[in-house]
Amino acid sequence: MATVQAQTILRDPQLFYWILFPITAVMILTGVLRHYVTVLMQSDPKKQELNAISEQRNLLRGVNLRTNHNQIPLSSFIARKNYLVAAYNRGDFLKDPESKGKPPANPMTDPAGMDQMMNMLKGNMAMMVPQTLIMGWINAFFSGFVIMKLPFPLTLRFKSMLQSGVATRDLDVRWVSSLSWYFLNLFGLRSIFTFILGNDNSADQMAQQMQQMNPAGGNAMFAPGQDPNKMFLAEAENLEVVGGQHEWVLDGVVDRLLKSRV
Amino acid sequence: MAILKLLLSYLSIHPSPLRNPSTSLHLSQQAPAFLSSSESTKDTQETWLIYEQLLLSCLRTGDDNSARLCLQRLSDRFGVDSARVKALTGLYDEATSNSPGELESVLQRYQDILKEDPTNMPIEKRRISLLLSLGRTEDAIKALTSLLSHSPNDPESWAHLSSLYFTQGLYQQSVFCLEEVLLILPNAYNIFARIGEVTYISASAGVGSANQTEAFEEAIKYFARSVELSEWYLRGWYGLKLVTGKLIQAKPSDGKLGKTESLNQMATEKLLQIVNKFRRNEKGWTGFDEAEVLAAKDLIDRDEQKFSR
Repeated sequence: MATVQAQTILRDPQLFYWILFPITAVMILTGVLRHYVTVLMQSDPKKQELNAISEQRNLLRGVNLRTNHNQIPLSSFIARKNYLVAAYNRGDFLKDPESKGKPPANPMTDPAGMDQMMNMLKGNMAMMVPQTLIMGWINAFFSGFVIMKLPFPLTLRFKSMLQSGVATRDLDVRWVSSLSWYFLNLFGLRSIFTFILGNDNSADQMAQQMQQMNPAGGNAMFAPGQDPNKMFLAEAENLEVVGGQHEWVLDGVVDRLLKSRV
Repeated sequence: MAILKLLLSYLSIHPSPLRNPSTSLHLSQQAPAFLSSSESTKDTQETWLIYEQLLLSCLRTGDDNSARLCLQRLSDRFGVDSARVKALTGLYDEATSNSPGELESVLQRYQDILKEDPTNMPIEKRRISLLLSLGRTEDAIKALTSLLSHSPNDPESWAHLSSLYFTQGLYQQSVFCLEEVLLILPNAYNIFARIGEVTYISASAGVGSANQTEAFEEAIKYFARSVELSEWYLRGWYGLKLVTGKLIQAKPSDGKLGKTESLNQMATEKLLQIVNKFRRNEKGWTGFDEAEVLAAKDLIDRDEQKFSR
């Protein structure tokens, strides 16, 4: 069988200089360019009105109380809990008390939502356009030959993708064309970008994809698609639930301290 | 490059240089050199942070010219309408004003800015400090409370309110505010020590010996928590030693005193270690505040005298 015997193809060493390096260099440069373009295209954070800020921060206050309730004595906690639960149920902090029962604002019509969507759209555009361009360029200039051998074996299904220009039946799937070098670079250059551009760079598509997939992202509370009244009521319920177990961190602190004495 | 790096490393060793007169002086003396050097035009975040620190320390030490220059460069870079720049300009005007009339006009300017833009927090805070320096403590407390009603997550404001209540003698409210800080920053060991101090002081000022013992024990718990979080926190050990000493004195024949005595001994040992190592300038032990170390030494000596009689 042809696959048992190791297939070797003699390659021109100039392959390195003319293909591998140029593709990598172009990808690094476009990545850097993309990062700076994204930074420049980002619009300033929109200024919010006082009652909107108040709404968000007072909700955060409830969250803080719930998270750190063990730091204060039980009596203090209960006093604060009662106050906050009553206030949340009454809707004291809502920026728009009339819209209590109405459905949440549609991102299409709400101007605040539009801004967020535009930002996401711009980010995606900045990601997709260079990718398409580079893929087209590679297909135009670097097709029709294989350039390297992958060190790990793959199934036959990958043949059509990785050996796009070379239509042979017997050639081992491990021999791939330059398009696959492009894909390898796409995932592998992340660490180089982190090195050049520091963390949080916009050339990193993985981080973006993870952000999109993560539903409980930091902006979930403030996105216009959420109903603040429901969030307040949910927080009030959470506070009631957490009130059941309270372990003041100061109980037994003296014993712990004395035990730690060496 | 040299002076920028020097200042950055200085600020990393002394993160709050304005607490101490000597560090403020040192910083402001570097100011003219920095301002005339070429690195002061670099546009990085660190440069502008240094500018802010230099501005504040120059105003402290009276170097108004350098302060003016710092302020000018900050407003050139960020625009006169930036909230932070407006607050720093207000600060500069307050510091260099010559009469109460000028201060009043600055206050009026703050109110106008806030009427236009009620979300400008730096200006709100400046207004509160100005009210305090004008002696209008009640107005300051009112303004601070309204700030906290729309931004209850600001630990700095809660701590400020706590100190204001403390000056007015309203100890319970002071502790309430400090608890709010704890809800935001649960590992703030200095706040635990502060609550201990306020509890101790309010107990000493109040009447009724039964409540006093309970309050002292609560204060001890707070101090113990602060040193549990930070092993060499001098203020925590000092408070622990002081309050346990008071308890031991008040009730020399109590069965539960075993723990209090051991706490007292532990605190004394730690304080002794700190004092000795600081005195000998050992590596890693020089970061303590000298005044605090002196106070600790004083407490140790006082207690030794008491018990040796």
